[in-house]
Amino acid sequence: MLWYKFWLETRWRFIIGLVVLICSAGGSVFSYPLVVKLLPVASHIDLGNSRLAQEVAQAVELSRTFGGYIWMHWFQQNFIQLWTLFAILIGSGGLVTRESGGSGLFTLSLPVSRERMLVTRVLTGLAELLVLSFVPALLIPLLSPAIGQSYGVLDALVYATCVFVAGAVFFCGAILLSTEFPDLWRPLLFALGAAMFLGVWEQFTREGARFGVFHLMSAEVYFRGGSVPWIGLAASAMVSAALLYRALVNFERRDF
Amino acid sequence: MADTTVIETVDLHKSYGSVEALRGLNLQVPQGSICGFLGRNGAGKTTTIKILLGMARPSSGRVRVFGLAADTKESSVEIRRRTGFVSDEKSLYDFMTVAEMVRFTASFFPTWRADLQQRYLAKFDLPGERDVKDLSRGMRTKLALLLALCRSPELLILDEPTSGLDPAMAEEVLKALIAHSAGEGASIFFSSHQIADVDQIADHVAIIDRGRMVVAGGLDDVREGYRRVQCVFDGEAPPAALRSPGVVRVERRGRALSVLSNAGVDNVVSEAKAMGAVSVDVTSVTLKEIFLEIVTVED
Repeated sequence: MLWYKFWLETRWRFIIGLVVLICSAGGSVFSYPLVVKLLPVASHIDLGNSRLAQEVAQAVELSRTFGGYIWMHWFQQNFIQLWTLFAILIGSGGLVTRESGGSGLFTLSLPVSRERMLVTRVLTGLAELLVLSFVPALLIPLLSPAIGQSYGVLDALVYATCVFVAGAVFFCGAILLSTEFPDLWRPLLFALGAAMFLGVWEQFTREGARFGVFHLMSAEVYFRGGSVPWIGLAASAMVSAALLYRALVNFERRDF
Repeated sequence: MADTTVIETVDLHKSYGSVEALRGLNLQVPQGSICGFLGRNGAGKTTTIKILLGMARPSSGRVRVFGLAADTKESSVEIRRRTGFVSDEKSLYDFMTVAEMVRFTASFFPTWRADLQQRYLAKFDLPGERDVKDLSRGMRTKLALLLALCRSPELLILDEPTSGLDPAMAEEVLKALIAHSAGEGASIFFSSHQIADVDQIADHVAIIDRGRMVVAGGLDDVREGYRRVQCVFDGEAPPAALRSPGVVRVERRGRALSVLSNAGVDNVVSEAKAMGAVSVDVTSVTLKEIFLEIVTVED
């Protein structure tokens, strides 16, 4: 029943996240006809040779196909950004926060090892994130026929998998920070700060654009070349495991 | 450890940074007893309880519950399986209803007593559908107590069980504890700074001050062991320098010397007479007096 407690604790963050991501997915699909209408206009915008011009040109080019538009507009941007936000929100807080007060002591008085508590907390969070990854992603192929388009279920599954496996780093980081700090806000702020830093780093450096976690979450390699970034996903999973191990060490040695 | 001891600590130390919360605590709680754990705020009561339940790790020393080391992972889980706990805060899960809270807790204890659950739900008048966050402090205490009692604990550890309760509610909680101990044979170890609570239900007492045990034993033995000797002199009382063994505290007030002794009073009486006391009276002392005198001496 521990999972039930953790589910109740995080359910509103999860439900809000699910609604937001579903709306975001639906919005992206249903706005495509409008984007198609605007493409001729956008093609004639002259921004010179600036970086912005190149990006607009690339966006216009990708938007000529529904698959390109969905990847660029949703899987590469809205989906991973919103998903990361909710992964951090779901991972933050927990047993050691000051806010849990005496109820934390009640939990600790149960005949359950701290290891099992943390593992259950993590598994409950990951199950929620699994739903946040796959349900909105699978809505894309489901809703596409409504606007006369089609989208591959396999593609949606690959993108959702990449988001889940690579993005779990943010969830695990939030879990770790929650075992470091006795309040709710510092883990949240530090995790969000780290995500924003990584986002900027990936945006403005070549290494970031190649090896960054958001790059991995967007599965650009799969979009452009059709191959799943297994090595990146494995590396990401190992980083997540290391973060969780460190969180467990913190949690095991902590005095309440 | 003796077979009849349910809790035992030996030279237990606990430091939080530079703050020493426990400084060599030696505590023994006999099996089947109701032991009141008295001390001022910050004396180390809650720290001791947390160490017993594996919520905090001792810095050094030995701590055993049911003969099991409380500072190892596996034993600690076993100790918690056999122990009911009510924290000082009585904070439970605000996001659950009373019925959910009961179901949740019951799931961890194969020995959960459904009959007691029904009895206490009715006795404490706890509405199953109400959210825990909407319960008054008194109702929360009752729910916390129900959750501790229904798991069939061999040992109940309660941290300030009556704090924040009105006298009627406190009385109800104490009566429930006595009834449970008598009916189920569980040992009870409860911390308090309400001396009246200890006087009312405990048969053993342990007084902690600044992380050290200062008095421990059967409540009657402790009460019997201490005596006050009131000495009155013709003129100003002599400076308080009694050398008799067992003198805990001497208070000089005008013509009178008030002596608290814990090792018989014959020597004190003889010494007082030798100092010229014209009147020497020996009186019994209450637990409250013993507590206040001892923790004041520690100052």
